[in-house]
Amino acid sequence: MIEIRFHGRGGQGAVIAAELLAQAANLDGKTPQSFAFYGAERRGAPVVSYARIDDRPILLRTAITAPDIVVVLDPGLVEVAPVMDGLKPGGTLLVNSPLPPERFPTPKPAFVATLDATQIALSHGIGSRTMPIVNTTMLGALSRVSSVVSLSAVQHAIDEHVPARPAENGLAAIEGFHTVRVAELPGLPGGKAPAGPVAPALSSEVPEAPIASMASDVLHTSSWRTLQPVITREKCTRCNFCWKFCPDNAIDLDAEGFPVVRNEHCKGCGLCAVECPPVAIEMVVEGGA
Amino acid sequence: MAKLTLPPVELVRSGHSACPGCGPALAMRYLLKGTGERTVVSVPASCWTIIATGYPTTALRIPMIDTPIEATGASISGLRAALDALHMSDVQVVGFAGDGGTVDIGLQSLSGMLERRTDALYVMYDNEAYMNTGIQRSGSTPLGAWTTTTPVEGMARGKGEPKKDIMGIVLAHHPVYAATLNVAYPEDFLRKAQKAASLKGPRFFHVLAPCPPGWKFASDQTVQIGRLATDTGIFPLYEVENGKLRVTRKLGQLKPVRDYIKVQGRFGHLTDAEIDTVEHEVQASWAALLQREAHP
Repeated sequence: MIEIRFHGRGGQGAVIAAELLAQAANLDGKTPQSFAFYGAERRGAPVVSYARIDDRPILLRTAITAPDIVVVLDPGLVEVAPVMDGLKPGGTLLVNSPLPPERFPTPKPAFVATLDATQIALSHGIGSRTMPIVNTTMLGALSRVSSVVSLSAVQHAIDEHVPARPAENGLAAIEGFHTVRVAELPGLPGGKAPAGPVAPALSSEVPEAPIASMASDVLHTSSWRTLQPVITREKCTRCNFCWKFCPDNAIDLDAEGFPVVRNEHCKGCGLCAVECPPVAIEMVVEGGA
Repeated sequence: MAKLTLPPVELVRSGHSACPGCGPALAMRYLLKGTGERTVVSVPASCWTIIATGYPTTALRIPMIDTPIEATGASISGLRAALDALHMSDVQVVGFAGDGGTVDIGLQSLSGMLERRTDALYVMYDNEAYMNTGIQRSGSTPLGAWTTTTPVEGMARGKGEPKKDIMGIVLAHHPVYAATLNVAYPEDFLRKAQKAASLKGPRFFHVLAPCPPGWKFASDQTVQIGRLATDTGIFPLYEVENGKLRVTRKLGQLKPVRDYIKVQGRFGHLTDAEIDTVEHEVQASWAALLQREAHP
């Protein structure tokens, strides 16, 4: 039995990815299973879904804690979610990232594969600039880096089960198949995953009753975004519309009344750019690609 | 430098967990700018419980209590009584509930709070479905809208019933003040919030709060679509003070409802004939609203 865990963000298609993989495996003659971790539904929030594939009916119904394969639909998640938890030695980690596989060292020896699925999905018009949907591209890549499913089964599953733009999704899967790069990595000394940010610890002053008293500003929601606003100061008329309409209070006004984006909190929704009367704000791809 | 049209005080923190482009996030931000920092807010199960409280953090600079989904009205009656007993009558008590928690699950306790003449402000932020649990239809979902429980496939054409008239229900209780508000018009929003804060007795807000994932539009369109809701006559802005109705955003010619419907994926299946039906209904209800303003 092969166990696969998907990490994505709400809206990227992680749940559908697990479902499509199961459908594709079924076409390959396997007996698959797929389901999602159920939590609050928020676009942009971390999401986990699962698939199991076997030649026999699967009776196991639990969440996957020791996956053979981990698929990460959003590169930012490697920093903020425990994506590598339990990945088996000799397993496979597939990450949507323009960076080379070596940039994602795993705790145990593993095969690491990367591809710029965001760029591929956008070039095929799948999803929007603020929320590219990369699941089909990632499945194409998965069919290359593991024997768990074939590319033709992925294409068939897309044709049958993707309601919008099946042709473009099929092409994206093929491009994912051809552009993914793989490296065999030795594992980190001590077998420990790189330390990412951890949930803030309770301070001793917090009472034991269930009262939340830590300011939410400690949470850096900027990792949710794919685009970031860039303000051209020369064009700005200091009308403060961007400040007024920011749902995340991520825009401050400086002493002269010019807006300053608080980068760690901006989720990249793009409202400021649309509402800016002199068009002084442009949304650019995160990381300046 | 342009003058600020909203008070600079920010009682909603950054780092909350609303979706990008969230209309309800703007609703809380504008509301608290109007009611000020001497405010206590009661929030039932709804998007805002998730937005505000990634434990142990809180996104509000004011006290918030988490209340059962059917109990918002009862909870604010209780908060008011407790604060009065503590001689803290200056504190504003606000209930902040979603549309499902108001027009469906919380309707009896809203009615009770209005009937008891509780001195509190009940705010219903309306994103027109149970969005927090993944877009299930509510009594406030408009006719024809796709949701996960009103699908569009085969003979199914989205929601088959019109939106529940919550303002009609509330006004039948004769509150001292009731108003419709829209996050796309923050200055009107602020004025109504300040006005409500200056009054005593039961008060009610119906706030339109567009939802990018639930209505299926890009996260940068929240305000554009909110403006269209009002300017097409679908969500007119008005207030009723002691029974007297006043339209607060006057419209000469209504924009075609098509402009509003066509930009949202949840209405993507509607035919021209179906949109024409909506258009006629909107024009009739707009005319009726103007009548009520002219001839109380």
